[in-house]
Amino acid sequence: MATALQKYLKQSATYKVFSQFLVVFADFLDTLGKIAQMGVHVVKAILKREIDGKELLAQCDRFGVSSLPITLSIVGMTSIIVASQVAHEMVKQGGGNFVGMLMTILIVREVGAIMSGFAITSMIGSSLASELATMRVTEQVDAIDVLGVDSVSYLFVPRVLSGMIMMPFVVILASVVGVLLGAVTSDMFAGLTYRAYFDSAGLGLYMKDLGVCLLKAASFGATISLISCTCGFYASGGAKGVGLATTKAVVWSFIAIVVLDMVFAVLFFF
Amino acid sequence: MSIEVRNLIKKFDERTVINDISFKVADGEVLAIVGFSGSGKSTVLKLICGLIPFDSGEILTSEGDIAMVFQYSALFDSLTVADNISFALRERKDLRKKYTKDEIKKIVSQKLELVGLKGIENKFPSELSGGMQKRVSFARAIVTKPNTILYDEPTAGLDPMSSTLIEDYIVSLKREINAASIVVTHQMSTITRTADRVIMLYDGKIVFQGTPTELLKQDNPYTKQFVTASLEGPMQMQN
Repeated sequence: MATALQKYLKQSATYKVFSQFLVVFADFLDTLGKIAQMGVHVVKAILKREIDGKELLAQCDRFGVSSLPITLSIVGMTSIIVASQVAHEMVKQGGGNFVGMLMTILIVREVGAIMSGFAITSMIGSSLASELATMRVTEQVDAIDVLGVDSVSYLFVPRVLSGMIMMPFVVILASVVGVLLGAVTSDMFAGLTYRAYFDSAGLGLYMKDLGVCLLKAASFGATISLISCTCGFYASGGAKGVGLATTKAVVWSFIAIVVLDMVFAVLFFF
Repeated sequence: MSIEVRNLIKKFDERTVINDISFKVADGEVLAIVGFSGSGKSTVLKLICGLIPFDSGEILTSEGDIAMVFQYSALFDSLTVADNISFALRERKDLRKKYTKDEIKKIVSQKLELVGLKGIENKFPSELSGGMQKRVSFARAIVTKPNTILYDEPTAGLDPMSSTLIEDYIVSLKREINAASIVVTHQMSTITRTADRVIMLYDGKIVFQGTPTELLKQDNPYTKQFVTASLEGPMQMQN
């Protein structure tokens, strides 16, 4: 009787959905644990100053310089889209003098960091994950360990640090481009003068906003690098494993960016 | 004694891949570990060099470095040949301040000369043939003067001449640095030309221990099946 009941339960859709959910949840906890473990390892290594300056510079170049075109394009285009939707309507309703303020607050507080984070994840995060995953499946990570070098410190520290250092610069540049393109778009779509736009641009912006923006950018940069490196580091199973690790890195980074952004919003603007 | 393995057990989930094996390798001795695919040969090497933890038993090694030559070379493809060979000298905590740049350059040249590849310092691994990559990985492995060298299928995928060259390097390295060496291999030429002793693994257990000559005598049903590459015998291939 009990066996028949067990058999029936195992065939039921609810059981299948629930067991699948448990598998996904277990994988979620496992990944979260690995990211936390690697994070602690990286912080310890940084505190012990186990930093390879040459490698750090190379990673900064990769993170900051090579990602700029795509990041500036994405933030710039988002600003154009927002300004084209908002400026015309605000001018029509008599609020033209506040378009600059609205655009600046939106870009500095949210759009600049979030869209840069997404762009960096797509370009740099995926590349970090696939690089480390390839090294893992071709035994290069094992070779580092056998040669007596701490593979986590060697691979993670320059990558995570470069993300933390370069992301604020990327976000500042992207935000400047976003604000400027907002002005150009407001002029083209709503006939708003540059003077009217920039007169209000600084109205709603405080030093706190800039500070939070930089802090948020640094945490996004470190998080994207840490997640991407961890997903790549624990890859297994050849080419398919590299693909899975890269996908996982991108998905986890996207989610982490949104969650972190929510945390920052609650902590600083609620 | 350079390596002593006592009652080693390793399980992956519920499957026992190494089941209570013990052996010793002396300085200057080459031990070949043979067996069909999936018999646990490479796992033994990974356990000895600490890449994976074991469940029970003991692995005792003399003080000094353990080096490993990987099956597919495992060269760092973003680094030049020189940077690959000098990696441990530049990155290892205890070695990074020991050598100047000029000394490192000289050591790299010496090691490349030893494996017959002088003048390729600035090339990247992707610019080298499989045999050359394997020889560079030899040079990288011996740069720290290890007293134990582990070879994971060093001649797999190589043409007969490259295999002979690699086998000669294993023998000459044994003489030059008097290291204890373990060679995991399927190839009879590698066994007969390099090994002083052979152990055969099947299903995680040692089913034969002896010299290469004794292996070739086929007194044991396992060795008979292995040497004749027969499908009939006590060893069943895993699907």
